[in-house]
Amino acid sequence: MSSLHDAEVAAERQAAQVDEEVLAKAKAEAHQPAFTPSPGGWAARGLVVFVLAAIVLWWPLHRPMSDVRLFADAAIFAIIGLSLNVLLGYTGQISLGHQAFVGIGSFTSAYLVTVQKLPFVVAIAFAMAIGGLQALILGGVALRVRGLYFALITLSYGTLASDSLFGIAAFTGGGQGQPAPLPSFADTPYRYYYFCLVVLAAVIWVDYRMIKTKGGRALLALRENPRVAATFGINVRAYTLYAFIVAGVLAGLGGALLAHRREIVQAQDYDFRLALIFVIMTVVGGLRSRVGVVIGSAFFALLPYIIEKVHLETVFRILSDHTPLPFLSKEVAALVLGPLLLLLTLTLNPGGIGQQIRPLTRWLGGRRFDFHDRGEKEVQISDVRA
Amino acid sequence: MLTLAEGARTRVAEAMTSPRTYVYAGVVGAITAVFVALGLKQALVLGAIGGSAYGLLALGLVLVYKSSGVFNFAQAEFGTVAVYFLYIFKGVLPYPLALLGALVVAIVMGLLVERLIVRPLFDAPRVTLLVATAGVALAAIGLEFWLGEPKLRSITPLFSRGDRLAILGQRISDQQIFLVVTLLALGVLLALFFSRTNLGLAILGASQEPVATELVGISVRRLSSFTWGLAALLGGIAGVLFVPISGTFGPGAMTSAVLIPAFTAAVLGGMSSLPGAFLGGAIVGVAQAAAISYDGFKSVPGKGSVVVFLLLVVVLAVRPQGLLGSKA
Repeated sequence: MSSLHDAEVAAERQAAQVDEEVLAKAKAEAHQPAFTPSPGGWAARGLVVFVLAAIVLWWPLHRPMSDVRLFADAAIFAIIGLSLNVLLGYTGQISLGHQAFVGIGSFTSAYLVTVQKLPFVVAIAFAMAIGGLQALILGGVALRVRGLYFALITLSYGTLASDSLFGIAAFTGGGQGQPAPLPSFADTPYRYYYFCLVVLAAVIWVDYRMIKTKGGRALLALRENPRVAATFGINVRAYTLYAFIVAGVLAGLGGALLAHRREIVQAQDYDFRLALIFVIMTVVGGLRSRVGVVIGSAFFALLPYIIEKVHLETVFRILSDHTPLPFLSKEVAALVLGPLLLLLTLTLNPGGIGQQIRPLTRWLGGRRFDFHDRGEKEVQISDVRA
Repeated sequence: MLTLAEGARTRVAEAMTSPRTYVYAGVVGAITAVFVALGLKQALVLGAIGGSAYGLLALGLVLVYKSSGVFNFAQAEFGTVAVYFLYIFKGVLPYPLALLGALVVAIVMGLLVERLIVRPLFDAPRVTLLVATAGVALAAIGLEFWLGEPKLRSITPLFSRGDRLAILGQRISDQQIFLVVTLLALGVLLALFFSRTNLGLAILGASQEPVATELVGISVRRLSSFTWGLAALLGGIAGVLFVPISGTFGPGAMTSAVLIPAFTAAVLGGMSSLPGAFLGGAIVGVAQAAAISYDGFKSVPGKGSVVVFLLLVVVLAVRPQGLLGSKA
């Protein structure tokens, strides 16, 4: 009897001791000064930033013109990816007709510059305004209904644009397309590439600032849980519409840049497949991660180029020669690999590229390199049903 | 089966005494009269037949929406994949067997999608699952581009006779009759299934309260497999019956031709109503055929898509719960 009592007391004492140890450890951690890298650490970080900057800024100068055009595409796709991220990442609504917003931005800018002889900057401003206007009208209808009707109405709108709007010859120049010359201040592909980079930087900054405002915080809240957000006085419909308009404006901007990059805008370049690539690159890049979305978008824009550079087509050729499988060309490869990457991302790695490279981005920002830092765990709400 | 037959009889009796039935009949009669007066009577028939394909695909959409609460963007690809396999099997098997084989492939695809994609995302937000179903459609289209090559192939229908009867001056082929009859039969069977059988009621229960359904001893997972298999079968049937009517197909054939009108049909019908999907399909099909053959719209490009988009916008703006749906 007494031995049992003794054992109990001993166990209690031990537990108390463990508690104290844990407490002391936590206290020590709390009082530890924040981690600052050593001078050598800063130098290593500086070197990595320098190499990355050199790849983006200096290396393209030494590439042929055809390559630089593709790099400009990558920057423009990144803008479009960020546009979709505002909608899908911040509000949890999806646009399956983004090719319509981008395409109408392209045609608006090309039409105003070529037919109406307006300056480039005015045309881009118009393209952005029209992008926002479309979003306002479509969103006004789609957001009347709770649930995922938004995806449906944007999908239908995308088809309408491809089948009908892009077929209006006066606006799109008919079958041969609408010319869209390079602007006078960036009249070579090299200069235009740097111009696109500047615009991309501006878009990233706007996106960053937007999330810091009251509206940005409201968007994040309503994405986590619309019901809770509404309880806190957030007008769910108005803020979702706001995000859609921002996404529409950015898509119009991306479309206008794409038009002048291609120098001729043709309707068949804006089919449903483009909208799908947009969704895939944003999700694979990682929703709500600006760096991830930019990398994902650039990766999908450059996928045919990368396949060519690493001679993957040779591998596909050997594969098709020795198996009954047909040859996989670099154009089709994006259509096959993209969706598979999307499904793998959704089921196994919902944070996308942004989550995978998080230790690196945190390290560059002056933190300790922690390989297991994958950011806060995704909050998932199972009771929110469409 | 006896209860099923009785159920059908009471349903019909209820419908015969309800004033709504006569209102609907009157509306249908008036629309027919307007179409005949405008010289669009052939569009009416063609539209109703094309609408059957939309309705058939919409049935699958409604089924998945009822059970998982998500728009299934992969529904049309079940049909395209089935058509590709019909094309392959037809080379070595007699047509009816090839048809059955293609449907089995569609069911297997549905079960695989459920097991590999839907189940891991069971607790994820609905929009994630929606993106995933779109991803399935994309993956299927990508594989069709690769393995099926980006070219049009031709396929013959199960029934080759093209002029068995004529309605309002429009010749109708046996395959078209078969399509319409199949849709009607499936619509009735599914409606009875959901209202009169334990399994159907269990599916409805699982969609409303998954936890409570588990508590009364029903496996929600197994129900989910069953619904996706059934939805894939419906998608497959739509594909193998509709595509041979036009005669040619390529990668993503059903997705580009039928998916959006089918969704519009489902929304028009109320998204969770099986008879509504059927009615919505007919309305979308007729409206589309009328717009395409009406002389006044000759210069408008892409008339079919414009009509479908406008129908969707009008329904969502005026009557979001659809024609036969209950209030959301």
